Amino acid sequence: MHNIYLPHRAQVIEVEQLSPTVRLLRLENRGMPHDDRKLFFIPGQFVIAGDIGFGEAPFSMLSSPYQKKFIELAVRKAGIVTGHLFSLQKGDTVTLRGPYGNGFPIDFMKDRDIVMASGGCGIPPIISLAEYIIENRKRFGNIFLLYGAKTPDELLMKDRLERLQRHDVSILTTIDEPFPGWNGHVGFVTDLIEKITINEANSVAVVCGPGPMFKAFEKTVKPFGISDRRIFISMERKMQCGVGKCQHCTTGSKYVCTDGPVFTYDQIRNNWD
Amino acid sequence: MLVIHEDQINPFFEEIGKAAVLFDVRDDVVPFKQYFIPPVEEILTVNKRGKIFHPMSSGKFVLHGLSLPDLEALTQLDHIMSKPEKDYFYLRRRKKALVIGITEEKLDAMPGGDIVFQSVGDGQYKVWSRGLKGRNTIKNNSRFFRDVEDTGIEYEPPQIPEGDTMEGWSHLMRKLLLDPGHLAEIVDWSRDHDIWNELGERCIGCGICTYVCPLCFCFSVEDRIGLNDVRSRFRRWDACTLPGFAKIAGGHNFRPTLKERYYNWFYHKFVRGYLEYGKSLCVGCGRCKELCPASINIQEVLRLISVDFKKNA
Repeated sequence: MHNIYLPHRAQVIEVEQLSPTVRLLRLENRGMPHDDRKLFFIPGQFVIAGDIGFGEAPFSMLSSPYQKKFIELAVRKAGIVTGHLFSLQKGDTVTLRGPYGNGFPIDFMKDRDIVMASGGCGIPPIISLAEYIIENRKRFGNIFLLYGAKTPDELLMKDRLERLQRHDVSILTTIDEPFPGWNGHVGFVTDLIEKITINEANSVAVVCGPGPMFKAFEKTVKPFGISDRRIFISMERKMQCGVGKCQHCTTGSKYVCTDGPVFTYDQIRNNWD
Repeated sequence: MLVIHEDQINPFFEEIGKAAVLFDVRDDVVPFKQYFIPPVEEILTVNKRGKIFHPMSSGKFVLHGLSLPDLEALTQLDHIMSKPEKDYFYLRRRKKALVIGITEEKLDAMPGGDIVFQSVGDGQYKVWSRGLKGRNTIKNNSRFFRDVEDTGIEYEPPQIPEGDTMEGWSHLMRKLLLDPGHLAEIVDWSRDHDIWNELGERCIGCGICTYVCPLCFCFSVEDRIGLNDVRSRFRRWDACTLPGFAKIAGGHNFRPTLKERYYNWFYHKFVRGYLEYGKSLCVGCGRCKELCPASINIQEVLRLISVDFKKNA
């Protein structure tokens, strides 16, 4: 019998400082099988990373699923596990389990316009999805990426966003309050809606942000008039086992680890928690 | 029909106890689940070379004295732990165990476990067995059993005592549990019911109900670094009524109030469990009612919701 709780080790091959509190860990890709499409995971899926003695936590993959040599995770220093991962150097190892979860329904998104909205550190699965899309750019309609953060520093991975822009993805960024040296838009992600026009009958929305911002996203995406079933939300919860046993990550009748982390809006609209 | 006389039960246990550790669970406060999901269990450790491995499995053991609700809970736990992904540690222990139930009630079918002794009166027990493990144990110890056409005894199972007794409560609760679909419907409907405010006030959030429930299995994972730098990972029982259950690093809590957490306990038992497995995650054993320091009676809660549901819905 296979022990689902037994992780494998992966080496850190590069560390990149994305903001004062966020680092990108590039990990060698070992032990992850690829599927028929030569993908190692579906954008939106997550791994459980950590180290023995420090604990583990779920992270969505940031890198493109076509990337064969490595996977990337973004780590924001918040607790014990992320504090440890944040302190790692090139050559250190982490433990990995996964990939887990359902991921974004990329086949469903084909030939449609896509609006992606993200705030703060919710950007990793969105970047992964966008990098999948630009590999298959002709199969998708217009792509918009709305991205907001508190300060310009916290807008992560500007180089990757520029690369997406070169591949015909419209990037709109905003920061919450005026900041010296910032010439872009000031305000919430909500405000960016007015700047784009989409064909709502043939569009999907993809949302990922920190848990408490979930309510704010209702305001962001709902006004587009996209049907609830075509709004995909990547949820965040406390998670321990990652395989639907420990009961920590439930929301209503769903498990974020096995039924999610990506839900359509109508699946979770009525949940109280 | 295979029978065993009560005088033969202890010699039978002595015999099978030669090759396994025996546990009699009849007087345990904490239900049998502790033998399969221990309160604290080391799941991983790292050796000096940095290789991660899991600890060795326990030896063979025998659990004796499970009641009917417990046997049913065991069958449900087996189902829950074997659904993908399979829970390695539970199933590893389950494989090593021989489970023997005992009951005074009438049985029409085997409720669960490997062997069940069903009282047929006059100190005689009818022997039920299931699966290779149960049948082989009986076959290899056939000298303790007798094969009879008919015991010739008129047996009436003991009457269920009237009034507020554990047996009476359990009997009524098991009647309610015959319609898990209805229970799922009313608990889901009752989300905005006043009773949850009331229970949120009354519940002290100690988690006892979850520890003594044979079908509560949630756990948290915890890592330790010893003074000698030995690193290991443990899992320990958690309770969804405890404040930190849904709290994440950074401080956000997805269920900050006791009312939400207590409702979630009911919701898992009667709604989410039903949607997943077609049964309530409750077998009516009565432990939670018996041991709750705030004397919350889940049967009364369900009754009250049911009455209001019929009035309003």
